[in-house]
Amino acid sequence: MTRSRFVLATLAPALVVLGLMAAVSTAGAVWLSLQNRRLSSPDADFVGLYNYLRLFRDKRFLNALQISGLWEIITVTGTLVVAVLLAVLVHETVRKPVWRNVVCFAFLAPVLLPRVAAAFIWRFLYSPSLGLVNWIASLFGFGPIEFLADPHIALFAVAAVDIWQWGLFFAVIVLKLLETLPQAPIEAAMLDNARTWEIHAFITLPMLQGPLISLALVKAVESLRSFDLLFVMTGGGPGTSTETLDLYAYQSGINLGGRISYASAMSILLLVVTTVAFTLIWRAGKRWAR
Amino acid sequence: MGSLILRNLGKALVALLVLIALTPILWTALGAFKELRDIVTPVPKLFFTPTLENFRTILGNPTIRDGLVNSVIVVGVSVSIGALLGIPAAHSVARYTRRRGDDIQFFVLSLRFMPPVAIAIPFIVIYLGLGIYDTLGGLCLVYLVTTISTMIWLSVPAFERVPREIEEAAAMEGCSEAEVFWRFSLPIAAPSLFGALVFTFVLVWNELLLALTLAAKNATLPVVAASITSLGKEVPWGVINAATVVLVLPPLVFIGLLMGLINTMVRSGGAKG
Repeated sequence: MTRSRFVLATLAPALVVLGLMAAVSTAGAVWLSLQNRRLSSPDADFVGLYNYLRLFRDKRFLNALQISGLWEIITVTGTLVVAVLLAVLVHETVRKPVWRNVVCFAFLAPVLLPRVAAAFIWRFLYSPSLGLVNWIASLFGFGPIEFLADPHIALFAVAAVDIWQWGLFFAVIVLKLLETLPQAPIEAAMLDNARTWEIHAFITLPMLQGPLISLALVKAVESLRSFDLLFVMTGGGPGTSTETLDLYAYQSGINLGGRISYASAMSILLLVVTTVAFTLIWRAGKRWAR
Repeated sequence: MGSLILRNLGKALVALLVLIALTPILWTALGAFKELRDIVTPVPKLFFTPTLENFRTILGNPTIRDGLVNSVIVVGVSVSIGALLGIPAAHSVARYTRRRGDDIQFFVLSLRFMPPVAIAIPFIVIYLGLGIYDTLGGLCLVYLVTTISTMIWLSVPAFERVPREIEEAAAMEGCSEAEVFWRFSLPIAAPSLFGALVFTFVLVWNELLLALTLAAKNATLPVVAASITSLGKEVPWGVINAATVVLVLPPLVFIGLLMGLINTMVRSGGAKG
Protein backbone atom coordinates (compact mmCIF):
# COMPACT_ATOMS: atom_id res chain seq x y z
CA MET A 1 0.00 0.00 0.00
CA THR A 2 1.45 3.36 -0.97
CA ARG A 3 1.44 6.32 1.32
CA SER A 4 -1.30 8.25 -0.43
CA ARG A 5 -3.56 5.22 -0.43
CA PHE A 6 -3.00 4.74 3.31
CA VAL A 7 -3.80 8.39 3.98
CA LEU A 8 -6.91 8.13 1.85
CA ALA A 9 -8.03 4.92 3.55
CA THR A 10 -7.73 6.45 7.02
CA LEU A 11 -9.11 9.90 6.28
CA ALA A 12 -11.89 9.16 3.85
CA PRO A 13 -14.35 7.20 6.04
CA ALA A 14 -14.30 9.72 8.88
CA LEU A 15 -14.47 12.80 6.66
CA VAL A 16 -17.16 11.31 4.42
CA VAL A 17 -19.41 10.57 7.41
CA LEU A 18 -18.82 14.03 8.92
CA GLY A 19 -19.19 15.87 5.62
CA LEU A 20 -22.31 13.97 4.66
CA MET A 21 -24.03 14.53 7.99
CA ALA A 22 -23.11 18.23 8.08
CA ALA A 23 -24.21 18.76 4.47
CA VAL A 24 -27.45 16.82 4.90
CA SER A 25 -28.48 18.63 8.07
CA THR A 26 -27.58 22.09 6.78
CA ALA A 27 -29.17 21.55 3.37
CA GLY A 28 -32.19 19.96 5.03
CA ALA A 29 -32.64 22.91 7.36
CA VAL A 30 -32.33 25.43 4.51
CA TRP A 31 -34.81 23.41 2.39
CA LEU A 32 -37.30 23.23 5.26
CA SER A 33 -36.93 26.89 6.15
CA LEU A 34 -38.20 27.90 2.69
CA GLN A 35 -41.44 25.96 3.14
CA ASN A 36 -44.39 26.13 5.48
CA ARG A 37 -44.15 22.60 6.74
CA ARG A 38 -45.58 21.32 10.01
CA LEU A 39 -44.71 18.19 11.91
CA SER A 40 -48.29 16.89 11.67
CA SER A 41 -48.51 16.58 7.87
CA PRO A 42 -45.94 15.95 5.11
CA ASP A 43 -47.59 18.39 2.67
CA ALA A 44 -46.01 21.79 2.26
CA ASP A 45 -45.65 24.68 -0.14
CA PHE A 46 -42.69 26.87 -0.84
CA VAL A 47 -43.04 30.25 0.77
CA GLY A 48 -39.66 31.74 -0.08
CA LEU A 49 -38.15 33.90 2.62
CA TYR A 50 -41.44 34.38 4.44
CA ASN A 51 -40.25 32.54 7.57
CA TYR A 52 -37.14 34.70 7.84
CA LEU A 53 -39.10 37.91 7.41
CA ARG A 54 -41.58 36.80 10.03
CA LEU A 55 -38.77 36.13 12.49
CA PHE A 56 -37.86 39.79 12.68
CA ARG A 57 -41.42 40.73 13.57
CA ASP A 58 -41.68 37.98 16.18
CA LYS A 59 -41.33 39.58 19.64
CA ARG A 60 -40.67 36.22 21.24
CA PHE A 61 -37.79 35.57 18.81
CA LEU A 62 -36.24 38.97 19.48
CA ASN A 63 -36.60 38.31 23.20
CA ALA A 64 -34.88 34.92 22.80
CA LEU A 65 -32.09 36.58 20.83
CA GLN A 66 -31.57 39.03 23.66
CA ILE A 67 -31.64 36.29 26.32
CA SER A 68 -29.12 34.24 24.34
CA GLY A 69 -26.77 37.19 24.06
CA LEU A 70 -27.14 37.95 27.76
CA TRP A 71 -26.56 34.28 28.61
CA GLU A 72 -23.35 34.21 26.54
CA ILE A 73 -22.01 37.36 28.20
CA ILE A 74 -22.86 36.32 31.75
CA THR A 75 -21.53 32.78 31.50
CA VAL A 76 -18.36 33.51 29.53
CA THR A 77 -17.21 36.47 31.62
CA GLY A 78 -18.41 34.85 34.84
CA THR A 79 -16.53 31.64 34.10
CA LEU A 80 -13.30 33.38 33.19
CA VAL A 81 -13.36 35.81 36.12
CA VAL A 82 -14.09 33.00 38.57
CA ALA A 83 -11.43 30.78 37.00
CA VAL A 84 -8.68 33.42 37.12
CA LEU A 85 -9.48 34.60 40.66
CA LEU A 86 -9.69 31.07 42.07
CA ALA A 87 -6.55 29.92 40.25
CA VAL A 88 -4.55 32.83 41.67
CA LEU A 89 -6.03 32.32 45.13
CA VAL A 90 -5.17 28.61 45.20
CA HIS A 91 -1.76 29.29 43.65
CA GLU A 92 -0.93 31.77 46.42
CA THR A 93 -2.42 30.02 49.46
CA VAL A 94 -2.17 26.28 48.90
CA ARG A 95 1.49 25.33 48.63
CA LYS A 96 1.62 21.63 49.47
CA PRO A 97 1.18 19.47 46.32
CA VAL A 98 -1.07 17.01 48.18
CA TRP A 99 -3.54 19.69 49.22
CA ARG A 100 -3.37 21.28 45.83
CA ASN A 101 -4.37 17.97 44.27
CA VAL A 102 -7.26 17.62 46.70
CA VAL A 103 -8.50 21.09 45.76
CA CYS A 104 -8.15 20.29 42.05
CA PHE A 105 -10.15 17.08 42.39
CA ALA A 106 -12.90 18.91 44.22
CA PHE A 107 -13.01 21.61 41.54
CA LEU A 108 -13.16 19.05 38.73
CA ALA A 109 -16.12 17.13 40.12
CA PRO A 110 -18.92 19.53 39.09
CA VAL A 111 -18.00 19.68 35.39
CA LEU A 112 -18.19 15.92 35.05
CA LEU A 113 -21.81 15.89 36.13
CA PRO A 114 -24.27 15.48 33.30
CA ARG A 115 -26.02 18.82 32.79
CA VAL A 116 -29.37 17.19 33.48
CA ALA A 117 -28.05 15.95 36.81
CA ALA A 118 -26.52 19.33 37.68
CA ALA A 119 -29.83 20.96 36.83
CA PHE A 120 -31.72 18.64 39.15
CA ILE A 121 -29.22 19.05 41.97
CA TRP A 122 -29.57 22.82 41.88
CA ARG A 123 -33.31 22.83 41.41
CA PHE A 124 -33.41 20.87 44.64
CA LEU A 125 -31.00 23.27 46.37
CA TYR A 126 -32.82 26.36 45.10
CA SER A 127 -36.25 25.12 46.19
CA PRO A 128 -37.90 27.82 48.35
CA SER A 129 -39.43 25.43 50.90
CA LEU A 130 -36.86 22.65 51.28
CA GLY A 131 -33.68 23.82 49.54
CA LEU A 132 -30.35 24.16 51.25
CA VAL A 133 -29.59 27.55 49.69
CA ASN A 134 -32.74 29.13 51.03
CA TRP A 135 -32.14 27.57 54.43
CA ILE A 136 -28.70 29.19 54.57
CA ALA A 137 -30.23 32.48 53.39
CA SER A 138 -32.83 32.24 56.17
CA LEU A 139 -30.03 31.87 58.76
CA PHE A 140 -28.89 35.32 57.70
CA GLY A 141 -32.41 36.67 57.88
CA PHE A 142 -33.35 36.60 54.21
CA GLY A 143 -36.82 35.36 53.42
CA PRO A 144 -37.31 32.51 51.01
CA ILE A 145 -36.04 33.62 47.62
CA GLU A 146 -37.85 32.28 44.57
CA PHE A 147 -34.65 31.74 42.61
CA LEU A 148 -36.24 30.05 39.61
CA ALA A 149 -39.69 31.62 39.73
CA ASP A 150 -38.61 35.26 39.83
CA PRO A 151 -38.12 36.55 36.26
CA HIS A 152 -35.43 38.97 37.41
CA ILE A 153 -33.29 36.34 39.11
CA ALA A 154 -33.99 33.12 37.18
CA LEU A 155 -31.45 33.60 34.39
CA PHE A 156 -28.71 34.52 36.86
CA ALA A 157 -29.61 31.60 39.11
CA VAL A 158 -29.18 29.17 36.20
CA ALA A 159 -26.01 30.95 35.04
CA ALA A 160 -24.60 30.45 38.53
CA VAL A 161 -24.93 26.69 38.02
CA ASP A 162 -23.14 26.94 34.69
CA ILE A 163 -20.34 28.93 36.31
CA TRP A 164 -20.24 26.45 39.20
CA GLN A 165 -19.49 23.73 36.64
CA TRP A 166 -17.19 25.55 34.22
CA GLY A 167 -15.57 28.26 36.35
CA LEU A 168 -14.19 25.69 38.78
CA PHE A 169 -13.05 23.46 35.90
CA PHE A 170 -11.23 26.32 34.16
CA ALA A 171 -9.73 27.36 37.49
CA VAL A 172 -7.87 24.03 37.54
CA ILE A 173 -6.63 24.59 33.97
CA VAL A 174 -5.46 28.15 34.74
CA LEU A 175 -3.78 26.89 37.93
CA LYS A 176 -1.88 24.25 35.92
CA LEU A 177 -0.90 26.93 33.40
CA LEU A 178 0.39 29.18 36.19
CA GLU A 179 2.55 26.30 37.41
CA THR A 180 4.20 25.90 34.01
CA LEU A 181 5.21 29.57 33.64
CA PRO A 182 8.92 30.41 33.65
CA GLN A 183 9.95 31.69 37.08
CA ALA A 184 12.57 34.27 36.06
CA PRO A 185 10.31 37.30 35.38
CA ILE A 186 8.31 36.57 38.52
CA GLU A 187 11.42 36.43 40.67
CA ALA A 188 12.68 39.66 39.12
CA ALA A 189 9.41 41.35 40.04
CA MET A 190 9.64 39.98 43.58
CA LEU A 191 13.11 41.49 43.92
CA ASP A 192 11.54 44.80 42.93
CA ASN A 193 9.15 44.40 45.85
CA ALA A 194 6.09 44.04 43.67
CA ARG A 195 2.93 43.03 45.52
CA THR A 196 1.40 39.65 44.80
CA TRP A 197 -1.58 41.04 42.96
CA GLU A 198 0.70 43.26 40.89
CA ILE A 199 2.78 40.25 39.84
CA HIS A 200 -0.35 38.46 38.64
CA ALA A 201 -2.05 41.43 37.03
CA PHE A 202 0.99 42.69 35.14
CA ILE A 203 3.21 39.64 34.60
CA THR A 204 1.64 36.19 34.86
CA LEU A 205 -1.81 36.84 33.41
CA PRO A 206 -0.50 38.77 30.37
CA MET A 207 1.83 35.81 29.76
CA LEU A 208 -1.24 33.57 29.69
CA GLN A 209 -3.14 35.78 27.24
CA GLY A 210 -3.16 33.22 24.43
CA PRO A 211 -4.48 30.27 26.44
CA LEU A 212 -7.04 32.49 28.18
CA ILE A 213 -8.42 33.59 24.82
CA SER A 214 -8.70 29.95 23.71
CA LEU A 215 -10.51 29.14 26.95
CA ALA A 216 -12.95 31.99 26.36
CA LEU A 217 -13.65 30.67 22.87
CA VAL A 218 -14.21 27.13 24.13
CA LYS A 219 -16.57 28.42 26.79
CA ALA A 220 -18.44 30.60 24.29
CA VAL A 221 -19.05 27.56 22.08
CA GLU A 222 -20.02 25.49 25.08
CA SER A 223 -22.42 28.17 26.36
CA LEU A 224 -24.43 27.81 23.18
CA ARG A 225 -25.29 24.30 24.35
CA SER A 226 -27.13 25.45 27.43
CA PHE A 227 -30.37 23.78 26.37
CA ASP A 228 -30.31 20.96 28.94
CA LEU A 229 -29.62 23.19 31.93
CA LEU A 230 -32.37 25.69 31.10
CA PHE A 231 -34.79 23.01 29.91
CA VAL A 232 -34.72 21.13 33.21
CA MET A 233 -34.37 24.08 35.58
CA THR A 234 -36.84 26.60 34.17
CA GLY A 235 -38.12 25.31 30.83
CA GLY A 236 -37.67 28.87 29.57
CA GLY A 237 -39.85 30.37 32.27
CA PRO A 238 -41.09 32.15 34.20
CA GLY A 239 -42.85 33.52 31.13
CA THR A 240 -40.10 33.76 28.55
CA SER A 241 -37.51 35.31 30.85
CA THR A 242 -34.98 32.49 30.39
CA GLU A 243 -35.94 31.35 26.90
CA THR A 244 -32.82 31.19 24.73
CA LEU A 245 -32.84 30.65 20.98
CA ASP A 246 -32.40 26.90 21.05
CA LEU A 247 -35.13 26.60 23.66
CA TYR A 248 -37.53 28.68 21.55
CA ALA A 249 -36.62 26.73 18.41
CA TYR A 250 -37.35 23.52 20.31
CA GLN A 251 -40.63 24.83 21.72
CA SER A 252 -41.96 26.12 18.40
CA GLY A 253 -40.57 23.34 16.23
CA ILE A 254 -41.33 20.28 18.29
CA ASN A 255 -43.47 21.03 21.29
CA LEU A 256 -46.06 23.60 20.21
CA GLY A 257 -47.79 22.64 17.01
CA GLY A 258 -44.55 21.50 15.40
CA ARG A 259 -43.88 24.45 13.10
CA ILE A 260 -40.66 22.89 11.90
CA SER A 261 -40.16 25.20 8.95
CA TYR A 262 -40.26 28.21 11.21
CA ALA A 263 -37.90 26.55 13.67
CA SER A 264 -35.56 25.65 10.80
CA ALA A 265 -35.34 29.27 9.73
CA MET A 266 -34.43 30.10 13.31
CA SER A 267 -31.74 27.46 13.52
CA ILE A 268 -30.26 28.48 10.14
CA LEU A 269 -30.00 32.05 11.38
CA LEU A 270 -28.37 30.79 14.58
CA LEU A 271 -25.98 28.65 12.54
CA VAL A 272 -24.91 31.52 10.29
CA VAL A 273 -24.40 33.95 13.18
CA THR A 274 -22.37 31.54 15.30
CA THR A 275 -20.26 30.24 12.41
CA VAL A 276 -19.37 33.74 11.22
CA ALA A 277 -18.74 35.03 14.74
CA PHE A 278 -16.60 32.10 15.82
CA THR A 279 -14.62 31.95 12.59
CA LEU A 280 -13.72 35.62 13.00
CA ILE A 281 -12.88 35.24 16.70
CA TRP A 282 -10.88 32.08 15.96
CA ARG A 283 -8.77 33.82 13.32
CA ALA A 284 -8.32 36.92 15.48
CA GLY A 285 -7.42 34.80 18.48
CA LYS A 286 -4.81 32.87 16.50
CA ARG A 287 -3.18 36.06 15.31
CA TRP A 288 -3.34 37.55 18.79
CA ALA A 289 -1.85 34.49 20.45
CA ARG A 290 1.20 34.63 18.24
CA MET B 1 1.82 39.56 60.90
CA GLY B 2 -0.67 41.07 58.51
CA SER B 3 0.37 38.68 55.78
CA LEU B 4 -0.09 35.73 58.17
CA ILE B 5 -3.71 36.72 58.79
CA LEU B 6 -4.21 37.25 55.09
CA ARG B 7 -2.78 33.81 54.31
CA ASN B 8 -5.05 32.09 56.83
CA LEU B 9 -7.99 34.02 55.49
CA GLY B 10 -7.06 32.79 52.02
CA LYS B 11 -6.91 29.21 53.24
CA ALA B 12 -10.32 29.51 54.83
CA LEU B 13 -11.65 30.90 51.57
CA VAL B 14 -10.22 27.95 49.61
CA ALA B 15 -11.81 25.56 52.10
CA LEU B 16 -15.15 27.31 51.64
CA LEU B 17 -14.80 27.02 47.86
CA VAL B 18 -14.07 23.31 48.08
CA LEU B 19 -17.23 23.06 50.16
CA ILE B 20 -19.21 24.95 47.50
CA ALA B 21 -17.85 22.62 44.84
CA LEU B 22 -18.71 19.40 46.64
CA THR B 23 -21.68 20.07 48.93
CA PRO B 24 -24.34 20.07 46.20
CA ILE B 25 -23.17 16.66 44.97
CA LEU B 26 -22.87 15.13 48.43
CA TRP B 27 -26.19 16.61 49.52
CA THR B 28 -27.90 14.98 46.55
CA ALA B 29 -26.21 11.66 47.30
CA LEU B 30 -27.48 11.97 50.87
CA GLY B 31 -30.96 12.81 49.66
CA ALA B 32 -31.03 9.65 47.60
CA PHE B 33 -31.06 7.62 50.83
CA LYS B 34 -33.75 9.68 52.53
CA GLU B 35 -37.43 9.03 52.80
CA LEU B 36 -39.63 11.84 51.55
CA ARG B 37 -40.57 12.94 55.06
CA ASP B 38 -36.87 13.39 55.88
CA ILE B 39 -36.44 15.59 52.80
CA VAL B 40 -39.48 17.80 53.20
CA THR B 41 -38.39 19.46 56.43
CA PRO B 42 -38.01 23.16 57.16
CA VAL B 43 -34.57 22.56 58.69
CA PRO B 44 -32.31 20.29 56.57
CA LYS B 45 -31.64 16.96 58.26
CA LEU B 46 -28.12 15.61 58.37
CA PHE B 47 -28.99 12.51 60.41
CA PHE B 48 -31.78 10.12 59.48
CA THR B 49 -32.49 6.43 59.02
CA PRO B 50 -31.22 5.59 55.55
CA THR B 51 -33.44 3.73 53.10
CA LEU B 52 -32.77 1.98 49.82
CA GLU B 53 -36.38 2.45 48.75
CA ASN B 54 -35.53 5.19 46.21
CA PHE B 55 -33.00 3.01 44.40
CA ARG B 56 -35.45 0.12 44.45
CA THR B 57 -38.04 2.38 42.80
CA ILE B 58 -35.50 3.46 40.19
CA LEU B 59 -34.25 0.01 39.26
CA GLY B 60 -37.73 -1.47 39.42
CA ASN B 61 -39.15 1.14 37.04
CA PRO B 62 -39.12 -0.33 33.50
CA THR B 63 -38.78 3.09 31.82
CA ILE B 64 -35.67 3.92 33.78
CA ARG B 65 -34.21 0.45 33.28
CA ASP B 66 -34.81 0.71 29.53
CA GLY B 67 -33.24 4.16 29.58
CA LEU B 68 -30.13 2.75 31.18
CA VAL B 69 -29.91 -0.06 28.61
CA ASN B 70 -30.55 2.34 25.71
CA SER B 71 -27.91 4.74 26.99
CA VAL B 72 -25.33 1.97 27.25
CA ILE B 73 -26.10 0.72 23.72
CA VAL B 74 -26.16 4.14 22.04
CA VAL B 75 -23.08 5.45 23.84
CA GLY B 76 -21.18 2.19 23.32
CA VAL B 77 -21.88 1.96 19.60
CA SER B 78 -21.34 5.63 18.75
CA VAL B 79 -18.17 6.00 20.80
CA SER B 80 -16.58 2.81 19.41
CA ILE B 81 -17.35 3.71 15.80
CA GLY B 82 -16.16 7.26 16.51
CA ALA B 83 -12.84 5.90 17.82
CA LEU B 84 -12.51 3.39 14.98
CA LEU B 85 -12.89 6.07 12.31
CA GLY B 86 -11.50 9.04 14.21
CA ILE B 87 -8.18 7.73 15.55
CA PRO B 88 -6.63 6.61 12.21
CA ALA B 89 -7.87 9.84 10.61
CA ALA B 90 -6.25 11.88 13.39
CA HIS B 91 -2.95 10.07 12.82
CA SER B 92 -3.00 10.92 9.12
CA VAL B 93 -3.92 14.54 9.85
CA ALA B 94 -1.05 14.81 12.30
CA ARG B 95 1.56 13.16 10.07
CA TYR B 96 0.77 13.11 6.37
CA THR B 97 -1.22 16.22 5.54
CA ARG B 98 0.62 19.50 5.41
CA ARG B 99 -1.48 22.49 4.52
CA ARG B 100 -4.76 20.68 4.19
CA GLY B 101 -4.36 19.36 7.74
CA ASP B 102 -5.20 22.77 9.17
CA ASP B 103 -8.30 22.98 7.02
CA ILE B 104 -9.45 19.55 8.13
CA GLN B 105 -8.91 20.49 11.77
CA PHE B 106 -10.88 23.69 11.32
CA PHE B 107 -13.69 21.81 9.59
CA VAL B 108 -13.83 19.30 12.45
CA LEU B 109 -13.88 22.08 15.03
CA SER B 110 -16.51 24.03 13.13
CA LEU B 111 -18.88 21.08 13.55
CA ARG B 112 -18.82 21.93 17.25
CA PHE B 113 -20.16 25.41 16.40
CA MET B 114 -23.30 23.87 14.96
CA PRO B 115 -26.25 24.44 17.26
CA PRO B 116 -27.76 21.03 18.15
CA VAL B 117 -31.25 22.26 17.15
CA ALA B 118 -29.93 22.90 13.65
CA ILE B 119 -29.04 19.20 13.46
CA ALA B 120 -32.12 17.91 15.25
CA ILE B 121 -34.89 19.53 13.22
CA PRO B 122 -33.91 18.46 9.70
CA PHE B 123 -33.13 14.97 10.94
CA ILE B 124 -36.60 14.61 12.43
CA VAL B 125 -38.04 15.12 8.96
CA ILE B 126 -35.47 12.90 7.24
CA TYR B 127 -35.92 10.12 9.80
CA LEU B 128 -39.71 10.32 9.56
CA GLY B 129 -39.35 9.90 5.80
CA LEU B 130 -36.95 6.97 6.11
CA GLY B 131 -38.97 5.37 8.88
CA ILE B 132 -36.11 5.33 11.38
CA TYR B 133 -37.53 8.01 13.66
CA ASP B 134 -37.46 6.93 17.30
CA THR B 135 -34.86 4.24 16.72
CA LEU B 136 -31.54 3.76 18.48
CA GLY B 137 -29.74 3.39 15.13
CA GLY B 138 -30.87 6.82 14.00
CA LEU B 139 -29.68 8.36 17.25
CA CYS B 140 -26.30 6.61 16.95
CA LEU B 141 -25.88 7.98 13.42
CA VAL B 142 -26.37 11.57 14.62
CA TYR B 143 -24.08 11.02 17.60
CA LEU B 144 -21.33 9.94 15.18
CA VAL B 145 -20.89 13.60 14.24
CA THR B 146 -20.04 14.39 17.86
CA THR B 147 -17.90 11.32 18.52
CA ILE B 148 -15.85 11.33 15.30
CA SER B 149 -15.18 15.07 15.38
CA THR B 150 -14.27 15.09 19.07
CA MET B 151 -12.02 12.04 18.68
CA ILE B 152 -10.14 13.65 15.76
CA TRP B 153 -9.93 17.02 17.51
CA LEU B 154 -8.42 15.53 20.69
CA SER B 155 -6.28 12.82 19.07
CA VAL B 156 -4.32 14.98 16.61
CA PRO B 157 -2.22 16.58 19.41
CA ALA B 158 -1.64 13.11 20.88
CA PHE B 159 -0.14 11.85 17.61
CA GLU B 160 1.86 15.04 17.10
CA ARG B 161 3.62 14.28 20.39
CA VAL B 162 4.81 10.85 19.21
CA PRO B 163 8.55 11.28 18.48
CA ARG B 164 9.08 11.43 14.73
CA GLU B 165 12.41 9.53 15.02
CA ILE B 166 10.64 6.36 16.13
CA GLU B 167 8.27 6.43 13.15
CA GLU B 168 11.09 7.23 10.74
CA ALA B 169 13.26 4.43 12.12
CA ALA B 170 10.39 1.98 11.76
CA ALA B 171 9.83 3.12 8.16
CA MET B 172 13.55 2.60 7.44
CA GLU B 173 13.23 -0.96 8.69
CA GLY B 174 10.67 -1.49 5.96
CA CYS B 175 7.43 -1.09 7.88
CA SER B 176 4.50 0.16 5.82
CA GLU B 177 2.51 3.19 6.98
CA ALA B 178 -0.18 0.93 8.38
CA GLU B 179 2.39 -1.06 10.36
CA VAL B 180 4.03 2.10 11.69
CA PHE B 181 0.65 3.32 12.84
CA TRP B 182 -0.47 0.04 14.36
CA ARG B 183 2.76 -1.13 16.00
CA PHE B 184 4.41 2.15 17.05
CA SER B 185 2.34 5.34 16.94
CA LEU B 186 -0.82 3.85 18.38
CA PRO B 187 0.76 2.23 21.49
CA ILE B 188 2.84 5.35 22.21
CA ALA B 189 -0.13 7.70 21.91
CA ALA B 190 -2.50 5.30 23.71
CA PRO B 191 -2.61 7.02 27.14
CA SER B 192 -3.65 10.37 25.65
CA LEU B 193 -6.06 8.64 23.30
CA PHE B 194 -7.74 7.01 26.26
CA GLY B 195 -8.35 10.46 27.73
CA ALA B 196 -9.92 11.57 24.45
CA LEU B 197 -12.11 8.47 24.47
CA VAL B 198 -13.34 9.22 27.97
CA PHE B 199 -14.07 12.84 27.13
CA THR B 200 -16.11 11.73 24.12
CA PHE B 201 -17.94 9.19 26.27
CA VAL B 202 -18.91 11.86 28.80
CA LEU B 203 -20.16 14.20 26.05
CA VAL B 204 -22.48 11.60 24.55
CA TRP B 205 -23.57 10.14 27.87
CA ASN B 206 -24.75 13.59 28.97
CA GLU B 207 -26.47 14.58 25.72
CA LEU B 208 -30.13 15.58 26.05
CA LEU B 209 -31.47 17.61 23.13
CA LEU B 210 -30.84 15.18 20.26
CA ALA B 211 -32.03 12.22 22.29
CA LEU B 212 -35.15 14.11 23.31
CA THR B 213 -36.06 15.08 19.75
CA LEU B 214 -34.95 12.06 17.74
CA ALA B 215 -35.72 9.15 20.06
CA ALA B 216 -38.35 10.30 22.52
CA LYS B 217 -39.83 6.81 22.92
CA ASN B 218 -36.54 4.92 22.97
CA ALA B 219 -35.23 7.42 25.45
CA THR B 220 -31.75 7.48 26.91
CA LEU B 221 -31.11 8.06 30.60
CA PRO B 222 -30.91 11.91 30.53
CA VAL B 223 -34.30 12.09 28.78
CA VAL B 224 -35.88 9.70 31.28
CA ALA B 225 -34.37 11.63 34.18
CA ALA B 226 -35.61 14.93 32.75
CA SER B 227 -39.15 13.57 32.65
CA ILE B 228 -39.30 12.16 36.18
CA THR B 229 -40.57 15.41 37.69
CA SER B 230 -43.96 14.78 36.20
CA LEU B 231 -44.43 11.38 37.86
CA GLY B 232 -47.47 11.57 40.10
CA LYS B 233 -48.70 14.55 42.07
CA GLU B 234 -46.09 14.98 44.77
CA VAL B 235 -42.60 15.80 43.53
CA PRO B 236 -40.67 12.60 44.30
CA TRP B 237 -37.48 14.30 45.47
CA GLY B 238 -35.96 11.12 46.88
CA VAL B 239 -36.43 9.29 43.58
CA ILE B 240 -35.08 12.28 41.64
CA ASN B 241 -32.01 12.33 43.84
CA ALA B 242 -31.46 8.60 43.35
CA ALA B 243 -31.83 8.95 39.56
CA THR B 244 -29.34 11.81 39.62
CA VAL B 245 -26.85 9.63 41.49
CA VAL B 246 -27.21 6.83 38.91
CA LEU B 247 -26.70 9.37 36.10
CA VAL B 248 -23.69 10.97 37.78
CA LEU B 249 -21.71 7.88 38.74
CA PRO B 250 -20.28 6.74 35.36
CA PRO B 251 -18.70 10.09 34.38
CA LEU B 252 -17.48 10.80 37.90
CA VAL B 253 -15.38 7.62 37.84
CA PHE B 254 -13.12 9.30 35.30
CA ILE B 255 -12.15 12.33 37.37
CA GLY B 256 -8.55 11.15 37.79
CA LEU B 257 -8.25 10.70 34.05
CA LEU B 258 -9.50 14.20 33.35
CA MET B 259 -6.81 15.49 35.67
CA GLY B 260 -4.14 13.58 33.73
CA LEU B 261 -5.50 14.92 30.44
CA ILE B 262 -5.27 18.51 31.70
CA ASN B 263 -1.72 17.92 32.89
CA THR B 264 -0.48 16.59 29.54
CA MET B 265 -2.37 19.25 27.54
CA VAL B 266 -0.95 22.09 29.61
CA ARG B 267 2.57 20.72 29.49
CA SER B 268 2.52 20.31 25.71
CA GLY B 269 2.60 24.06 25.23
CA GLY B 270 -0.51 25.86 26.34
CA ALA B 271 -4.14 24.90 26.45
CA LYS B 272 -5.08 24.14 22.90
CA GLY B 273 -8.60 23.72 23.83
